[in-house]
Amino acid sequence: MSRYMVDKFIRAVELGDATVAEYVADPPAFVERWLAGGGTPAGPTDDRVLTEAERAAFAARDFGALYSLGAHPYLLWHFTEAVYEHEYTEGFGWRELVERYRAAVAPQGLVDYIP
Amino acid sequence: MAELVLAAVTPHNPLLWRAMTDPVPDDLQPIAANFARIREAVVSHEIDVLVVIGTDHLRQFFYDNSPAFAIGKADAYHGTWENEVRTFGMEYAELTGHRELADRIAGRSVQPDAIDFSVSLEWRLDHAFVIPLQYVRPELDIPVVPIHANASMPPVPSVRRFVALGEHLRRAIEEWDSDARVGILTSGHMANDVGGPRTFAGSPDPEFDALAAGWMRDGDLDGAIRVCSEVDRLTAAGSMTSQFLNAVAALAAMGGRAADVVDVPESRFSTSPFFLWSTR
Repeated sequence: MSRYMVDKFIRAVELGDATVAEYVADPPAFVERWLAGGGTPAGPTDDRVLTEAERAAFAARDFGALYSLGAHPYLLWHFTEAVYEHEYTEGFGWRELVERYRAAVAPQGLVDYIP
Repeated sequence: MAELVLAAVTPHNPLLWRAMTDPVPDDLQPIAANFARIREAVVSHEIDVLVVIGTDHLRQFFYDNSPAFAIGKADAYHGTWENEVRTFGMEYAELTGHRELADRIAGRSVQPDAIDFSVSLEWRLDHAFVIPLQYVRPELDIPVVPIHANASMPPVPSVRRFVALGEHLRRAIEEWDSDARVGILTSGHMANDVGGPRTFAGSPDPEFDALAAGWMRDGDLDGAIRVCSEVDRLTAAGSMTSQFLNAVAALAAMGGRAADVVDVPESRFSTSPFFLWSTR
Protein backbone atom coordinates (compact mmCIF):
# COMPACT_ATOMS: atom_id res chain seq x y z
CA MET A 1 0.00 0.00 0.00
CA SER A 2 1.40 3.38 -0.98
CA ARG A 3 -1.45 5.85 -0.75
CA TYR A 4 0.95 8.72 -1.13
CA MET A 5 2.10 7.50 -4.53
CA VAL A 6 -1.51 6.91 -5.64
CA ASP A 7 -2.32 10.52 -4.78
CA LYS A 8 0.88 11.71 -6.40
CA PHE A 9 0.04 9.94 -9.66
CA ILE A 10 -3.49 11.37 -9.63
CA ARG A 11 -2.07 14.88 -9.35
CA ALA A 12 0.44 14.16 -12.13
CA VAL A 13 -2.53 13.47 -14.40
CA GLU A 14 -5.28 15.76 -13.17
CA LEU A 15 -3.57 19.13 -12.63
CA GLY A 16 -2.93 19.84 -16.32
CA ASP A 17 -4.99 19.57 -19.49
CA ALA A 18 -2.10 18.11 -21.51
CA THR A 19 -1.44 15.33 -19.01
CA VAL A 20 -5.14 14.44 -18.84
CA ALA A 21 -5.18 14.13 -22.64
CA GLU A 22 -2.01 12.02 -22.66
CA TYR A 23 -3.31 9.70 -19.97
CA VAL A 24 -6.74 9.30 -21.56
CA ALA A 25 -5.17 8.50 -24.94
CA ASP A 26 -3.34 5.47 -23.50
CA PRO A 27 -3.55 4.92 -19.73
CA PRO A 28 -1.15 1.94 -19.48
CA ALA A 29 1.49 3.72 -21.54
CA PHE A 30 1.15 6.88 -19.43
CA VAL A 31 1.59 4.84 -16.25
CA GLU A 32 4.80 3.28 -17.57
CA ARG A 33 6.18 6.63 -18.75
CA TRP A 34 5.43 8.23 -15.40
CA LEU A 35 7.13 5.41 -13.50
CA ALA A 36 10.19 5.76 -15.73
CA GLY A 37 10.58 9.44 -14.80
CA GLY A 38 11.57 10.95 -11.48
CA GLY A 39 13.99 13.25 -9.75
CA THR A 40 17.75 13.56 -9.51
CA PRO A 41 20.00 14.89 -6.74
CA ALA A 42 20.00 18.21 -8.61
CA GLY A 43 16.45 18.92 -7.43
CA PRO A 44 13.81 18.06 -4.85
CA THR A 45 13.07 14.35 -4.50
CA ASP A 46 10.58 12.97 -7.02
CA ASP A 47 10.33 9.22 -6.41
CA ARG A 48 7.74 7.19 -8.28
CA VAL A 49 6.66 3.71 -7.25
CA LEU A 50 3.35 1.90 -7.72
CA THR A 51 2.37 -1.62 -6.66
CA GLU A 52 1.02 -4.04 -9.24
CA ALA A 53 -2.52 -3.45 -7.98
CA GLU A 54 -2.13 0.33 -8.19
CA ARG A 55 -0.60 0.12 -11.64
CA ALA A 56 -3.45 -2.09 -12.85
CA ALA A 57 -6.10 0.22 -11.37
CA PHE A 58 -4.63 3.26 -13.14
CA ALA A 59 -4.21 1.35 -16.39
CA ALA A 60 -7.94 0.52 -16.23
CA ARG A 61 -9.15 3.92 -14.91
CA ASP A 62 -10.80 1.83 -12.16
CA PHE A 63 -12.00 4.41 -9.63
CA GLY A 64 -13.65 1.77 -7.43
CA ALA A 65 -10.34 -0.03 -7.06
CA LEU A 66 -8.47 3.21 -6.45
CA TYR A 67 -10.93 4.10 -3.69
CA SER A 68 -10.28 0.75 -2.00
CA LEU A 69 -6.53 1.36 -2.35
CA GLY A 70 -6.89 4.52 -0.28
CA ALA A 71 -6.84 7.35 -2.80
CA HIS A 72 -7.71 10.72 -1.28
CA PRO A 73 -11.47 11.08 -1.94
CA TYR A 74 -11.30 14.66 -3.16
CA LEU A 75 -8.48 13.91 -5.57
CA LEU A 76 -10.11 10.69 -6.74
CA TRP A 77 -13.43 12.27 -7.64
CA HIS A 78 -11.80 15.04 -9.67
CA PHE A 79 -9.48 12.53 -11.35
CA THR A 80 -12.51 10.44 -12.27
CA GLU A 81 -14.30 13.45 -13.69
CA ALA A 82 -11.23 14.53 -15.68
CA VAL A 83 -10.56 11.14 -17.26
CA TYR A 84 -14.17 10.23 -18.09
CA GLU A 85 -15.77 13.51 -19.12
CA HIS A 86 -14.64 13.11 -22.74
CA GLU A 87 -17.03 10.14 -22.90
CA TYR A 88 -20.11 12.18 -22.02
CA THR A 89 -22.97 11.58 -24.45
CA GLU A 90 -26.58 12.70 -24.49
CA GLY A 91 -27.56 9.92 -22.09
CA PHE A 92 -24.41 9.83 -19.98
CA GLY A 93 -23.25 13.06 -18.40
CA TRP A 94 -21.92 14.48 -15.16
CA ARG A 95 -24.88 13.31 -13.07
CA GLU A 96 -24.65 9.76 -14.43
CA LEU A 97 -20.90 9.68 -13.76
CA VAL A 98 -21.55 10.82 -10.17
CA GLU A 99 -24.04 7.98 -9.77
CA ARG A 100 -21.66 5.42 -11.24
CA TYR A 101 -18.88 6.68 -8.95
CA ARG A 102 -21.10 6.57 -5.88
CA ALA A 103 -22.25 3.04 -6.76
CA ALA A 104 -18.61 1.94 -6.84
CA VAL A 105 -17.49 3.56 -3.58
CA ALA A 106 -20.60 3.58 -1.36
CA PRO A 107 -20.57 -0.19 -0.63
CA GLN A 108 -16.98 0.21 0.61
CA GLY A 109 -17.98 2.80 3.20
CA LEU A 110 -15.26 5.01 4.65
CA VAL A 111 -11.82 3.76 3.62
CA ASP A 112 -8.67 4.92 5.39
CA TYR A 113 -7.00 7.29 2.94
CA ILE A 114 -4.35 8.80 5.22
CA PRO A 115 -0.92 8.10 3.70
CA MET B 1 -4.13 51.31 15.37
CA ALA B 2 -5.69 49.11 12.72
CA GLU B 3 -9.21 47.85 13.28
CA LEU B 4 -10.84 44.50 12.63
CA VAL B 5 -14.16 45.75 11.26
CA LEU B 6 -15.77 42.70 9.67
CA ALA B 7 -15.58 38.93 9.45
CA ALA B 8 -17.50 36.80 6.99
CA VAL B 9 -17.80 33.12 6.21
CA THR B 10 -18.97 31.99 2.79
CA PRO B 11 -18.99 28.78 0.81
CA HIS B 12 -16.37 28.33 -1.90
CA ASN B 13 -18.24 25.69 -3.87
CA PRO B 14 -16.71 26.07 -7.35
CA LEU B 15 -19.68 24.38 -9.02
CA LEU B 16 -21.56 27.63 -8.38
CA TRP B 17 -19.47 29.38 -11.02
CA ARG B 18 -21.30 27.65 -13.87
CA ALA B 19 -24.61 27.06 -12.09
CA MET B 20 -25.31 30.48 -10.53
CA THR B 21 -25.64 32.60 -13.66
CA ASP B 22 -28.55 34.72 -14.89
CA PRO B 23 -31.27 33.78 -14.51
CA VAL B 24 -30.26 32.36 -11.15
CA PRO B 25 -32.04 29.02 -10.54
CA ASP B 26 -34.55 29.01 -7.68
CA ASP B 27 -32.52 26.83 -5.30
CA LEU B 28 -29.44 29.03 -5.73
CA GLN B 29 -31.17 32.36 -5.19
CA PRO B 30 -30.57 32.38 -1.42
CA ILE B 31 -26.88 31.76 -2.12
CA ALA B 32 -26.71 34.64 -4.59
CA ALA B 33 -28.57 36.90 -2.13
CA ASN B 34 -26.20 36.06 0.73
CA PHE B 35 -23.13 36.71 -1.40
CA ALA B 36 -24.69 40.05 -2.37
CA ARG B 37 -25.29 40.91 1.29
CA ILE B 38 -21.66 40.26 2.16
CA ARG B 39 -20.47 42.10 -0.95
CA GLU B 40 -22.44 45.16 0.23
CA ALA B 41 -21.01 44.83 3.74
CA VAL B 42 -17.46 44.85 2.37
CA VAL B 43 -18.32 48.12 0.60
CA SER B 44 -20.08 49.76 3.54
CA HIS B 45 -17.27 48.85 5.96
CA GLU B 46 -14.70 50.54 3.69
CA ILE B 47 -12.21 47.70 4.01
CA ASP B 48 -8.57 48.35 3.12
CA VAL B 49 -7.15 44.82 3.53
CA LEU B 50 -8.72 41.37 3.56
CA VAL B 51 -7.25 38.43 5.46
CA VAL B 52 -8.54 35.44 3.51
CA ILE B 53 -8.56 32.09 5.31
CA GLY B 54 -9.09 29.07 3.11
CA THR B 55 -7.98 25.52 2.58
CA ASP B 56 -5.90 24.62 -0.43
CA HIS B 57 -7.25 21.45 -2.05
CA LEU B 58 -3.98 19.49 -2.49
CA ARG B 59 -2.83 21.83 -5.22
CA GLN B 60 -0.21 24.28 -3.97
CA PHE B 61 0.38 22.10 -0.92
CA PHE B 62 0.59 18.31 -0.98
CA TYR B 63 1.80 15.46 1.18
CA ASP B 64 5.43 16.07 0.24
CA ASN B 65 5.15 19.26 2.28
CA SER B 66 1.91 19.96 4.12
CA PRO B 67 1.92 22.99 6.44
CA ALA B 68 -0.73 23.27 9.14
CA PHE B 69 -1.08 27.03 8.63
CA ALA B 70 0.69 28.97 5.89
CA ILE B 71 0.68 32.77 5.67
CA GLY B 72 1.09 34.32 2.21
CA LYS B 73 3.85 36.95 2.21
CA ALA B 74 3.99 37.47 -1.55
CA ASP B 75 3.51 40.85 -3.23
CA ALA B 76 1.07 39.26 -5.66
CA TYR B 77 -0.72 35.97 -6.27
CA HIS B 78 -1.95 34.08 -9.29
CA GLY B 79 -5.47 32.80 -8.86
CA THR B 80 -6.94 29.52 -10.07
CA TRP B 81 -5.41 26.44 -11.61
CA GLU B 82 -5.71 24.89 -15.06
CA ASN B 83 -7.75 21.98 -13.67
CA GLU B 84 -10.19 24.41 -12.04
CA VAL B 85 -10.67 26.31 -15.27
CA ARG B 86 -11.30 22.99 -17.01
CA THR B 87 -13.52 21.42 -14.37
CA PHE B 88 -15.39 24.40 -12.98
CA GLY B 89 -15.19 26.96 -15.78
CA MET B 90 -13.43 29.38 -13.40
CA GLU B 91 -11.55 32.44 -14.57
CA TYR B 92 -7.90 33.23 -13.89
CA ALA B 93 -7.33 36.14 -11.52
CA GLU B 94 -4.37 38.21 -10.34
CA LEU B 95 -4.42 39.40 -6.74
CA THR B 96 -2.34 41.93 -4.83
CA GLY B 97 -0.76 40.88 -1.55
CA HIS B 98 -0.12 42.91 1.61
CA ARG B 99 3.40 42.31 2.91
CA GLU B 100 3.19 44.56 5.95
CA LEU B 101 0.13 42.91 7.49
CA ALA B 102 1.40 39.45 6.50
CA ASP B 103 4.58 40.16 8.48
CA ARG B 104 2.53 41.37 11.43
CA ILE B 105 0.56 38.13 11.42
CA ALA B 106 3.38 35.66 10.74
CA GLY B 107 5.98 37.36 12.89
CA ARG B 108 8.91 38.82 11.00
CA SER B 109 11.87 37.18 12.72
CA VAL B 110 10.26 35.25 15.58
CA GLN B 111 7.05 33.22 15.54
CA PRO B 112 4.12 34.50 17.59
CA ASP B 113 3.58 32.88 20.99
CA ALA B 114 0.24 31.20 20.45
CA ILE B 115 0.67 29.45 17.11
CA ASP B 116 3.36 28.42 14.61
CA PHE B 117 3.04 29.47 11.00
CA SER B 118 4.67 28.51 7.75
CA VAL B 119 5.13 31.26 5.21
CA SER B 120 4.83 31.19 1.43
CA LEU B 121 6.33 33.70 -0.98
CA GLU B 122 5.05 32.00 -4.14
CA TRP B 123 1.58 30.56 -4.26
CA ARG B 124 -1.15 29.93 -6.83
CA LEU B 125 -4.41 30.32 -4.92
CA ASP B 126 -7.13 27.78 -5.60
CA HIS B 127 -10.92 28.11 -5.56
CA ALA B 128 -11.08 28.25 -1.75
CA PHE B 129 -9.63 31.76 -2.04
CA VAL B 130 -10.65 32.91 -5.50
CA ILE B 131 -14.34 31.99 -5.48
CA PRO B 132 -15.23 33.89 -2.28
CA LEU B 133 -13.24 36.92 -3.45
CA GLN B 134 -14.85 36.91 -6.89
CA TYR B 135 -18.29 36.89 -5.30
CA VAL B 136 -17.77 39.37 -2.46
CA ARG B 137 -15.34 41.71 -4.24
CA PRO B 138 -15.61 41.18 -8.02
CA GLU B 139 -13.28 44.13 -8.62
CA LEU B 140 -10.49 42.15 -6.85
CA ASP B 141 -8.95 45.48 -5.88
CA ILE B 142 -8.47 44.98 -2.12
CA PRO B 143 -5.02 43.65 -1.11
CA VAL B 144 -5.14 40.25 0.54
CA VAL B 145 -3.23 38.20 3.07
CA PRO B 146 -4.10 34.59 2.23
CA ILE B 147 -3.86 31.98 4.98
CA HIS B 148 -3.97 28.30 4.11
CA ALA B 149 -5.41 26.30 6.99
CA ASN B 150 -4.92 22.62 6.37
CA ALA B 151 -8.32 21.01 6.63
CA SER B 152 -7.86 18.68 3.66
CA MET B 153 -4.82 16.51 4.44
CA PRO B 154 -4.93 14.68 7.78
CA PRO B 155 -3.48 15.24 10.30
CA VAL B 156 -5.58 18.40 10.48
CA PRO B 157 -4.74 20.88 13.25
CA SER B 158 -7.02 20.62 16.26
CA VAL B 159 -9.99 22.99 16.59
CA ARG B 160 -8.11 24.73 19.40
CA ARG B 161 -5.43 25.71 16.90
CA PHE B 162 -8.10 27.26 14.67
CA VAL B 163 -9.34 29.19 17.69
CA ALA B 164 -5.76 30.30 18.37
CA LEU B 165 -5.50 31.42 14.75
CA GLY B 166 -8.60 33.60 15.05
CA GLU B 167 -7.53 35.09 18.36
CA HIS B 168 -4.05 35.76 17.04
CA LEU B 169 -5.43 37.51 13.95
CA ARG B 170 -7.47 39.90 16.07
CA ARG B 171 -4.48 40.68 18.25
CA ALA B 172 -2.07 41.12 15.33
CA ILE B 173 -4.50 43.46 13.55
CA GLU B 174 -5.28 45.54 16.63
CA GLU B 175 -1.59 45.92 17.51
CA TRP B 176 -0.71 47.01 13.98
CA ASP B 177 0.31 50.68 13.91
CA SER B 178 -1.86 51.61 10.95
CA ASP B 179 -5.20 53.25 10.28
CA ALA B 180 -6.23 50.35 8.03
CA ARG B 181 -9.68 48.85 8.25
CA VAL B 182 -9.25 45.09 8.05
CA GLY B 183 -11.75 42.36 7.22
CA ILE B 184 -11.50 38.60 7.60
CA LEU B 185 -13.02 36.52 4.81
CA THR B 186 -13.17 32.83 5.55
CA SER B 187 -14.54 30.06 3.44
CA GLY B 188 -15.37 26.48 4.11
CA HIS B 189 -18.15 23.97 4.28
CA MET B 190 -20.92 22.73 6.43
CA ALA B 191 -21.07 18.91 6.28
CA ASN B 192 -19.76 18.06 2.82
CA ASP B 193 -18.60 14.91 1.08
CA VAL B 194 -16.57 15.02 -2.12
CA GLY B 195 -15.28 11.69 -3.35
CA GLY B 196 -16.72 9.65 -0.49
CA PRO B 197 -19.81 7.46 -0.28
CA ARG B 198 -22.23 10.43 -0.21
CA THR B 199 -20.69 12.53 -2.97
CA PHE B 200 -23.13 15.15 -4.27
CA ALA B 201 -26.08 13.51 -2.50
CA GLY B 202 -27.13 16.55 -0.47
CA SER B 203 -25.85 17.26 3.04
CA PRO B 204 -24.23 14.11 4.45
CA ASP B 205 -25.01 15.20 8.01
CA PRO B 206 -27.93 17.62 8.54
CA GLU B 207 -27.58 17.20 12.31
CA PHE B 208 -24.03 18.57 12.17
CA ASP B 209 -25.23 21.44 9.99
CA ALA B 210 -27.89 22.40 12.55
CA LEU B 211 -25.40 22.27 15.41
CA ALA B 212 -22.83 24.29 13.47
CA ALA B 213 -25.30 27.03 12.56
CA GLY B 214 -26.31 27.17 16.23
CA TRP B 215 -22.73 27.82 17.39
CA MET B 216 -22.63 30.88 15.14
CA ARG B 217 -26.14 32.07 15.98
CA ASP B 218 -25.55 31.74 19.74
CA GLY B 219 -21.88 32.71 19.85
CA ASP B 220 -21.16 29.30 21.32
CA LEU B 221 -17.42 28.89 20.83
CA ASP B 222 -17.26 26.27 23.58
CA GLY B 223 -19.89 24.16 21.79
CA ALA B 224 -17.94 24.37 18.57
CA ILE B 225 -14.75 23.33 20.33
CA ARG B 226 -16.47 20.44 22.08
CA VAL B 227 -17.96 18.84 18.98
CA CYS B 228 -15.16 19.69 16.56
CA SER B 229 -12.67 18.07 18.94
CA GLU B 230 -14.29 14.77 18.01
CA VAL B 231 -12.25 14.05 14.90
CA ASP B 232 -14.17 10.88 14.10
CA ARG B 233 -17.38 12.90 14.16
CA LEU B 234 -16.02 15.35 11.60
CA THR B 235 -14.72 12.54 9.42
CA ALA B 236 -18.05 10.73 9.57
CA ALA B 237 -19.80 13.95 8.53
CA GLY B 238 -18.05 13.92 5.14
CA SER B 239 -14.61 14.00 3.55
CA MET B 240 -14.44 17.81 3.42
CA THR B 241 -16.37 18.70 6.58
CA SER B 242 -13.17 19.62 8.42
CA GLN B 243 -13.18 22.83 6.41
CA PHE B 244 -15.90 24.07 8.76
CA LEU B 245 -13.00 24.72 11.14
CA ASN B 246 -12.20 27.83 9.11
CA ALA B 247 -15.52 29.26 10.28
CA VAL B 248 -14.56 28.53 13.89
CA ALA B 249 -11.45 30.67 13.35
CA ALA B 250 -13.70 33.57 12.30
CA LEU B 251 -15.93 33.10 15.36
CA ALA B 252 -12.84 33.18 17.59
CA ALA B 253 -11.48 36.27 15.82
CA MET B 254 -14.71 38.09 16.65
CA GLY B 255 -14.33 37.25 20.32
CA GLY B 256 -16.83 34.40 20.18
CA ARG B 257 -19.78 36.76 19.85
CA ALA B 258 -22.92 35.74 18.00
CA ALA B 259 -22.80 36.43 14.28
CA ASP B 260 -25.06 39.22 13.01
CA VAL B 261 -26.11 37.14 10.04
CA VAL B 262 -26.49 33.36 10.08
CA ASP B 263 -27.98 31.70 7.04
CA VAL B 264 -27.34 28.14 5.88
CA PRO B 265 -29.49 27.61 2.77
CA GLU B 266 -29.81 24.18 1.24
CA SER B 267 -29.33 23.76 -2.47
CA ARG B 268 -28.82 20.98 -4.98
CA PHE B 269 -25.20 20.77 -3.78
CA SER B 270 -25.29 20.76 0.02
CA THR B 271 -25.82 23.22 2.85
CA SER B 272 -23.98 26.52 2.33
CA PRO B 273 -22.54 28.52 5.25
CA PHE B 274 -23.10 32.28 5.39
CA PHE B 275 -22.05 34.02 8.61
CA LEU B 276 -21.33 37.72 8.97
CA TRP B 277 -20.02 39.78 11.85
CA SER B 278 -20.28 43.49 11.14
CA THR B 279 -19.55 46.67 13.04
CA ARG B 280 -21.69 49.14 11.10
